[in-house]
Order: sequence, then structure tokens, then C-alpha cells
Amino acid sequence: MQNVIDTANHIVAYAAKAARVQVIAAYPITPQTSIVERIAELVESGELNAEYIRVESEHSAMSACMGAAAGGVRTFTATSSHGLVLMHEALHWASGSRLPIVMPVVNRALGPGWNIWADFTDSMSQRDTGWIQFYCAENQEVFDTIIQVYKLCENERVLLPAMVCLEGFILSHTYMPVEIPDQEKIDDFLPPYKPKWFLDVNKPISHANIVSPEWYMEFRYMIQEAMENAKQLIPEIDKEYGKYFGFEHGGLIDKYKCEDADLILLTMGTIGSEAKIAVDNLRKEGLKVGTARVRVFRPFPREEIRKLAENAQMFAVIDRGISFGMEGFLAEETKASLSNQKDQPLIAGFIAGLGGRDVTFKTIEKIAKKSSEWMRAGKVGKETVWVDLRK
Amino acid sequence: MVVVPKTRKEMPVTALSVPTIGSAGKTGFWRDFKPVWVELVSPCTYDCPANNSIPKIFEKVRNGKLDEAAKIFLETNPFPSITGRVCPHLCERHCNRGEYDEIISIRSIERFLGDYVLKKKGERGFHEISAETGKKIAIIGSGPAGLSAAYYLRKIGHNVTIFESEKKLGGVLAYGIPPYRLPKQIVEKEVAALAKMGIKIKTGTAIGKGVTFEVIQKEFDVALLAIGAWKERDIGIPGEEFMMSGLEFLKEVNKGLREPPGMAVAVIGGGNVGIDVARTLKRLGAEPTILYRRTEKEMPAIDEEIQKAKEDGIEFRFLTQPVEASKRNGKIVLKCIKMRLGEPDATGRRRPIPIEGSEFTLEFDAVIKAVGERPDTTWIPRKFLNEKGWIKADPATGFVGENVFAAGDLVSGPATVVEAISAGRKTARSINQYLRGEEIKLEAPLEKPVKIEKINIEYYEPKERVKTFELPPEERTKSLDKEETLGVSLEEVESEADRCFSCGYCRSCRICWIFCPDSSIEIKDDSKPEFDYDYCKGCGICSNECPCGVITMQREEE
Amino acid sequence: MMESIKELSKEEYLLKGHIACAGCGLTISLRLLFKALGNKLVMVVPACCTSVIPGPYPYTSFAVPVQNIIFEATGATASGVVAAFRQRGIKDVPVVGWAGDGGTFDIGIQALSGAAERETNFIYICYDNEAYGNTGIQRSGATPYGAWTTTTPTGKKERKKDMPFIMAAHRIPYIATACPSYPMDFINKIRKAKEIKGTKFIHILAPCPTGWRYDTSKTVEIGRLAVQTGMWALFEIEYGKFKLNSPSDRLIDKAKRKPVKEYLSLQGRFRKLTEDDIEKIQRWVDEDWERYRKLALNQYV
Repeated sequence: MQNVIDTANHIVAYAAKAARVQVIAAYPITPQTSIVERIAELVESGELNAEYIRVESEHSAMSACMGAAAGGVRTFTATSSHGLVLMHEALHWASGSRLPIVMPVVNRALGPGWNIWADFTDSMSQRDTGWIQFYCAENQEVFDTIIQVYKLCENERVLLPAMVCLEGFILSHTYMPVEIPDQEKIDDFLPPYKPKWFLDVNKPISHANIVSPEWYMEFRYMIQEAMENAKQLIPEIDKEYGKYFGFEHGGLIDKYKCEDADLILLTMGTIGSEAKIAVDNLRKEGLKVGTARVRVFRPFPREEIRKLAENAQMFAVIDRGISFGMEGFLAEETKASLSNQKDQPLIAGFIAGLGGRDVTFKTIEKIAKKSSEWMRAGKVGKETVWVDLRK
Repeated sequence: MVVVPKTRKEMPVTALSVPTIGSAGKTGFWRDFKPVWVELVSPCTYDCPANNSIPKIFEKVRNGKLDEAAKIFLETNPFPSITGRVCPHLCERHCNRGEYDEIISIRSIERFLGDYVLKKKGERGFHEISAETGKKIAIIGSGPAGLSAAYYLRKIGHNVTIFESEKKLGGVLAYGIPPYRLPKQIVEKEVAALAKMGIKIKTGTAIGKGVTFEVIQKEFDVALLAIGAWKERDIGIPGEEFMMSGLEFLKEVNKGLREPPGMAVAVIGGGNVGIDVARTLKRLGAEPTILYRRTEKEMPAIDEEIQKAKEDGIEFRFLTQPVEASKRNGKIVLKCIKMRLGEPDATGRRRPIPIEGSEFTLEFDAVIKAVGERPDTTWIPRKFLNEKGWIKADPATGFVGENVFAAGDLVSGPATVVEAISAGRKTARSINQYLRGEEIKLEAPLEKPVKIEKINIEYYEPKERVKTFELPPEERTKSLDKEETLGVSLEEVESEADRCFSCGYCRSCRICWIFCPDSSIEIKDDSKPEFDYDYCKGCGICSNECPCGVITMQREEE
Repeated sequence: MMESIKELSKEEYLLKGHIACAGCGLTISLRLLFKALGNKLVMVVPACCTSVIPGPYPYTSFAVPVQNIIFEATGATASGVVAAFRQRGIKDVPVVGWAGDGGTFDIGIQALSGAAERETNFIYICYDNEAYGNTGIQRSGATPYGAWTTTTPTGKKERKKDMPFIMAAHRIPYIATACPSYPMDFINKIRKAKEIKGTKFIHILAPCPTGWRYDTSKTVEIGRLAVQTGMWALFEIEYGKFKLNSPSDRLIDKAKRKPVKEYLSLQGRFRKLTEDDIEKIQRWVDEDWERYRKLALNQYV
């Protein structure tokens, strides 16, 4: 075991090394850059025995990863924002190919104009690509999730690619203490990748030629089935990881003081960490509040949301992103999860922290107070509130 | 074969497809035209009087299968060693390669193979002879027609006896053609090979003198007359008694005569016998002059021989017709008249017309006439002859009447060796039909030959025709027995075979196969292509590209 | 040539029953690829005719492993496969990117350029039928001047990119042009490419009866005419060294080349060319050959 204090981006590089990835194909983009820089150092120093393809675009990064994964090896890339959006086509092809590629996404706003700061719109707009999506709240979780996700994605019942999302600068460039377990133990937890098929001259099959309407739906159904399987496996793997290394991250949802809470703040990423401070402060004021940080957005933990809703009177959903013309992504999914359920809690959506604007515990306390007002009134004053928006 | 998944559980998680023939079903029904493999007649085969399968033989040569090449030759010509030397090679006349660069030297390949076959013929088991039929056949005359018929009849298993009035077999081959063109040991070896096949040979036996033809007819199931045309025609002028017969002269030379009848010798006639006589005279040290009543263009002799005679330094006097011969002071004086050419006659040649008052005289030590030959039929029963004394034979089948057949110059009049060989083979075929009690039927005539348009010449690189080496005139005229044309090497033969367009005959090049976009042509055992009509889409590339023109596109029936 | 063809394997790895158009030049090229390399290769194929012709799941006409991939990604995905094989110690299996002209000249040029610049050890083969064939003949950067396509109904007004020289500017070790009408040249170039380390680019002119509007039986003939007229030159650029190959090496002298009209007039797509157009094309071809002549003389690109 090794204790380090480092940025999440460097931790990502160490996690890739710990996972013994074999092929990395990546293209630099702020704020992901220090990941590929550190990986380059690791590869060139020989600490990481991997092929590092310094591709000429993110589209090619993902395309190269697909080639590598089809070649039968553990594959890695990382990106942000415009880079991720450029990959969009390839993301669909990767999940449809059922290739267990793992990709940290350093969340960053999309232009115009140029904004390099945290925002979930980049990864949220890839939610329908068939990728598993994790959102992390701290550097340790970043490391642990990458290791966990390889185990998940390479599971025969899953075989899907996954994004491990972390907010730009807030995590990517922030030093935090991280425990890196012993390599042998990691190797034990995460054995080498054994592909179910690869481009084998001794067994010449063609991958991804034409699929007619006669067969297409079944393949799509199987992706959905894999997502459901993942939903079942994620908490199990998280628990197993906890047993190995002492860290658990709440499986699908990291819950904090929700058991007796009337008001639950639904969050993602680092807002979840800030929300914990807010909860502690508000509890001192007598407010029965808790927070649930949605760790896995795809597959969406619909059942866990429903369970949370059983005892809560209200959900305040905080989104660092918006689906234009509707509302925050998490708010949308939360409401959709609760449809057809009896005794639904009130739900209010809050859009906060777009393009890297600060969301501190104070911002969250403000949101909680507004929400508790509406809870007491038994009616949500506004469907979606843009927090700290200029008049 | 792939098992199609029935349930979702049997499917892979992503689209992994397995190699399968007919992945999207059969594609043959797309086709409007289908390629068919049709062998066509090559111009050389068509023009060859023996219809030798030349492209087929060359294909074997290209593949280094000389034994097989030789066997194919023997199917239509038992004596390629002879025709390879003396044949005028009509086969080369319309060779399609000539329209590209130079015609193929078929003759040099034939000669090479002929010598090869001759060597092989000495080997045991080279000729397969069918089971004895017990049928007895008498062949009278042992020239190319008689020998050819003997060969084919014996191969079938008949009991063949050749009757020859001379001491040696061969007829014109032994006694007509001079040795510098056809070395006598070649003929002797061919004859020896025939004897080895079990053909009985009775030389020095002239039918009609000792044994009558009627006896032959009775003792044998079939009698074949192949006596050639050995009677010199008369010019029909006074003083012919002072002239020698060209044929007789050649016969004497072939029997060993090495003295010329004089220094200045006139040879009358422009045919092959005339040229042979003149060139022979030259080699015996005489100074021959050929007198011919038309011009060089109308000479019936083989053109090549005319050219060689000129190279030999033989004098030609064209448009010259002797009208009278007389003897004076041991010399023969020929009175001649100048001719001019008029309208074409029945042979298509321009008729010579005497120019009045143009008479002149020439003086020679000897005069040899060679103005045409005809068969000597005096001993043949009248019932088999027509009023002009010619044999009454069907020119195609050789059938005469009763159990009598005829072949060669006896039927056709003077012709080439290869024509006689061909006649011998065809008549053998008729005889066999007759002996089996079948109707005597002709071989089907050949289809029209392939034109160059059908050949894809893109596959042939320009390449020079093989050069045959001839002795220079000053050297060759010194010896009567030294063969003047030399053979070519195996390497040269292969090069020439490679130049051949193989018109209408598959040269197993696999061009069709390599270009088939549908993987629907299969080559089995290095032979012809096979089309898989289940999958062939009928694009026609194979037909368009075929370097030999053997693939034809045929409309599909509705 | 005929002798060498006889020595080729009779094994077929493009199985019959595929659904390419009758007379397809690309499928001949595919068969030649397999004649050159056998079945020990991995193919990366983007969206193009080749992704359609082997037929639909669960079958394929390819008896070699094939990764189908998105249109612009050939160079990148091949890079991935190469990297994976290196990691796995698979050494003797060439990775072949096999893309059409659209996937090479246009949408895929970036990934190809990247892969080449990275010195990726693979063979990239562009089979060029001078249009987007799979979508029904639309113009591409490879469509020649004057050619009809469905998006240039009156004929293309611009010239074709000089792709081999674009690749030459990448300083890759081996570039070659080929045409299925010259199968041994084609096969030898692929075999040579296999032995060279680094990025190899082979540019194939693959006549397309459907798009070029000629009789299906003429595919090989048209390819041959392209070479004989000099519209398509057979050459190699090996470590920067330029060399014309037979029979193009005999065509430096203009008199030896057939007039381009012989090539153009056989194809319906050039039907609307005026005499001026033909003259212009002839001039361009002559200019190209002047360049080839100098290159052949100085050898280095």
C-alpha cells in the first residue's frame, strides 16, 4: 500500500497502471491533459507496459480503442468535453460492439464560448450511447472506481464500456490524499482480461457486418439486459472491493443521513461532498435532511430512487447540467423513475454550477431551505430553479 | 455450415458472423448470360490437311509433357518427323499471331516433336495396339498414304500387310524426295517402327505381275490401293524420247546415282518434282536451267523451295515453252517459244499464250521433264477405273467398290505428303467402318476457324519468331546428303509454343479464374475451368479476357 | 504473367455468394489480396461497398477475421489492432486497412494521416472506384474531372486528389499503386508491403461497372486501358524512391501511351465530356507523366 497526495488526473494515470491496461489511445484536451501526460511518463519510463497510441483526435482515440479491444486487450482512454462529443459516433459503436473499454471523462463545459470548467453536459449528452457512467466525488473514489469498473465491464454478463466521470479542476487538478493498494492485491481482485472473442486468424469471424431488421432488435435488447446486469453487479463489486481494500462508495447511490430524512438532496459528483457538509449544518438547525449522491447514472438506479422515495417527503435535485427544453438530467431521470409510484415525494429541480461556477455547501444550504419551505407548503413553487442566476 | 440461432440466447452479444458460402443465398439467378467453355477450331488446325490439333499439342509442350504432345500428333499424323521436314506448312498461312507480330513457326515445333516421337517409337509400349481383330488388310504401295493407313489400321488391331514393288518402303519418301530435304535414315526409322508394330512387309512384290489383284482381293478382307502417281506425263511435243523423266531421275539418285546426266541440263516444269530435280542436279555438280511456261508467281512448287533453288544459283527461264527436242552432236537442242500470260484458266492461274514468231533454240547436255505425274493404273481391273483410266474412288472416303479402297495421289493426283498421310488416315477410318459392317461416314467437317477478334492479345508480349538455321547455299550445294535445314532446340520450341495464341483451345492459363469477381470459377487438376452456375453472376469478364477465346457467353433461357 | 498465375493458391477466402455487383472490380481486388497473403491477416473495413458485399449477419463471405468499423476510423482502428497484437506478441499477422476512396480521400484522411505519421505497422489499401459507390455513386475527392455522379449530374468540375503523393509527404516507407487488371503486379506489391515495417499505402484503381457505366465484362479491360493511356500509372515509392513498374515503365514516352480518349469513351460517366474536356484531361495526364519522368530520373520524391 502506498499513500499519495496527488491530483485526480494523476490518480487516474496510476489507476490505469494498477489495472495493467495494455493499450491506451488518447488525445489531449483541457482539463484531461495531465492524465495523458502522466501516462506518457509511465509508459516511457517502463513502469507501465502498454502501447500508447498518441492519436490525432478523440474520434480516433475511441476508434483505436475499439481496434485494440477487438484485438483482445485491456484498453484505456480519457477525454473531456468537446473531445467526448467528437467521439459520439464511436461511443455507440463501442457499446454495440460490447467492448469493455474504460474511459475517465474529466467533465468540462461545452462551448461556445470556450469554457474549460466543470459541467456535466458533456457526459450527460452521451447517456444514450450504451455506456455505463460513474460519477466520482473524490480522488480515492476515482482510483477505486477505475479498478472496479474494469472488473464490471469485463464481466461476461456485462461486456459494456464505461465512463468514469470526474469534474474538471474541482477533482482533476486538486491534490487529495489517496491510498493506492498493493499491486499484487489489485491483480488478485482484477485478473487479466480474457476476451470472449478477438480478431483471431485461426477463427476467422467478421465483426459488425450488416445486421438486418430481422436481428437488430435482439442485439439492442441484449445491451439493455447487460445494463440491468450491471446494475445488479455494481453494488456487489463495490462491496467486494471494500473487503479487499477497505473502501466502499455506496454502490449505485452514496447515501448520507437519508434514513430519517424528510428532505433528500439528490446530487452527483463533488456536489455530493459539499451536500454532506450542508446536511450536517442543517441537521444542527433541526432540519431532517439527508443527501443521496447518484454514483451511477447509467444504468440508472431506478429501484434505489424508489426506495429512497418511500420515506422522504421531498427530493431536491441538483444538476450541474441541463437538457435544454426540459430540465436537469438527474431531475428528469428521478421523476421518470417515480412515475406510476404511489405517494410520490415532491420534486424540485435546481440547476447549479454550470461552466464551473462554484457550488459550495452554502449554495446547497440555500437550496435545502428553499426546498423545505415548499415541502412544508406541500407544493413546489418552481419546477426548475436556476441557482444564483443573474437577474 | 453455420447453425442459425433460433433463440436470443443462442446469439452472440454482438454481430459476429461466420464465413459461409452463399452468405446471402445463391446469386446465379442474377445472370442473363452464362459463360460456357467451348473449344473452337484454330486456323492452323483448319488449314492443315491432316487437321493436326496444333494448339492442343503446343499446350502439352508448354507444360513440358512431350510424350503427350507426341501422342496427340500421332492421332492425326503418324510421321511428324517427315512432315516436319517436307510439309509446305499450310497451317502457318492464316496463323492469327501473324496479325500481331509474326506467325508461329509450327514447322519447327513439328520437326522437333517428330524427331522426338521417332526416338520414342523405338521404345517398347509407346504405341498401344488394340486386341487383334483377325481382319486381314492388304495395302498396295508404301508411300505416305499407304504407310499412314497401315499405321492406323494396325493400331486398331487389324492384320496389315504392305506390298511394295521396290526394295524399300516409303514410296516418294524413299525414292522421290531428295535426301538433302529428307534424310533417308528418317524414313528407314519410321518404317522400322511400323514393322515393330507388327505390320507385315512384302517388298519387291509388284501386284499385277506375280500375284494378281484378284488373288489379293480374295485372300484379304480389304485391299487398299495406295500406289501414288509415278508416271511422268508427256509434254506432247516431238523429240520427247530424248528427255528423261524427272521422277525416274530422282528414283535413281535415291538409289545411289551420283553422276549428273551432263553439265548443262534443262529441267522442264515448275512443280515440286522439277525443283527437286534441279536442286539435285546442282548438288551433283551440274548447271541446271528450269524452263517454265508461265512466271514465278504461277509455279505450283512450294514457294520456299523456289526461293532456295534461286539461292542455289539455278537459272530460271520463265514464259518459255519447249516445242521440239532434237539431238545434235551428242547435245539436245530444244526449240522453244516465248509465252505471254492471258486470262486465268480453271486452276485460277493465268493461261500462257505463245507469242507468234518468238521461237528460239537452247542447247543442253541433257533434258529432264517434270511437267506432271499421274498414277499407273494399267494393272488395276477395269471395273475399278473410269473411262480416263483413273481410279473410281470416292475422294472423301476412299471407297472404290467391293472390298477395295484407294488413297493418296492415286485418288487425288499429285499432292503433298501431308495430304497423302491424311488420306491414308481417313481411308483407314472408312475401312474400319466397312469391316464393322457400318455405313462409311465422313468425319464431321470442321467449324470455321477462330478469328483474332476472339483472342485477347493483351496477354501476349511481342516476341520474335524462332529462327530456323539453313545451311548457306555455297555449303549446301556441295552435298546431296547433308540435310540443309537444321532443327531447333527444346528451348526454342518452348518459346515458340509460348508465343502461340492457342486459338480456341484452353491454355490452362487461369486468367478467367484470377479475374472472376465471384470466386465462381474452379480449376480442377490443371485442366479447363469449371463454372459454378449457382453463383456466377454472368459478368462476362472471363469471356472478355480469355487469351484463347474458349469462353463464350450464352443467353440464359427464360 | 500467365505462368505466375498458375503458381497462386487455389484457396478462396472471398467465398462465393457475396452480393457485389456483377463485374465488380473491388471483389477481384479482394481475391488478389487473399492470393497475396492467404488467410493469415486481419482486416479493418470501414463503411463502404466491402462492408455490404459479404452479406448480412449471421453469415459473411470473408473467410478471414474482419473488424467492420465506422467510416472515418480505418487508420485509427487498425492502429488499435496493431497495438493489441504487439501487446499479445502476435507478430506474423499483417493488419490490413481496406477502405474505399471516400473513406480514404475524404472522411478517413485524418485517421489515415495520423496512423501514417505514427508509423503504424500496417498495410492500408484504398480501393478506389472514384465515387461513393455504396450509397449510389456520389462524388468523392477521388472522382476525376468530368465524371458524372449523382451529385455531379453534369460532370465533376474539379480534379482528383493525388493521394499517393499525399501519402508520400508522410514519408512512409512504402507506397504503391496497383490495378487488378495486372494481378501479379498487384500481388507482388502486397507481398512486398508485408515484408516492410511501418505504414504501407497501396492505392488500387478498382473499376466499377455500376458507377462508371460500362458493360460488366469490361472491368479488366477498363483497368488495363487506364494503365495503357497513363490515366493510372503503376508505380512504387519505396523509402522515398520512385519507380515506375511494368507496363507503366514503358509509357514515359507519350507516343507509347494510348490517347486518354480510348479510356474515357468506353465509360458512360464521361459521356458528356466535350473535345475540350478530353484535351484538358490529356494535357493533365501528360503533365503527370512529365512529373513521373523526372521522378523516375531523379528517383527521389
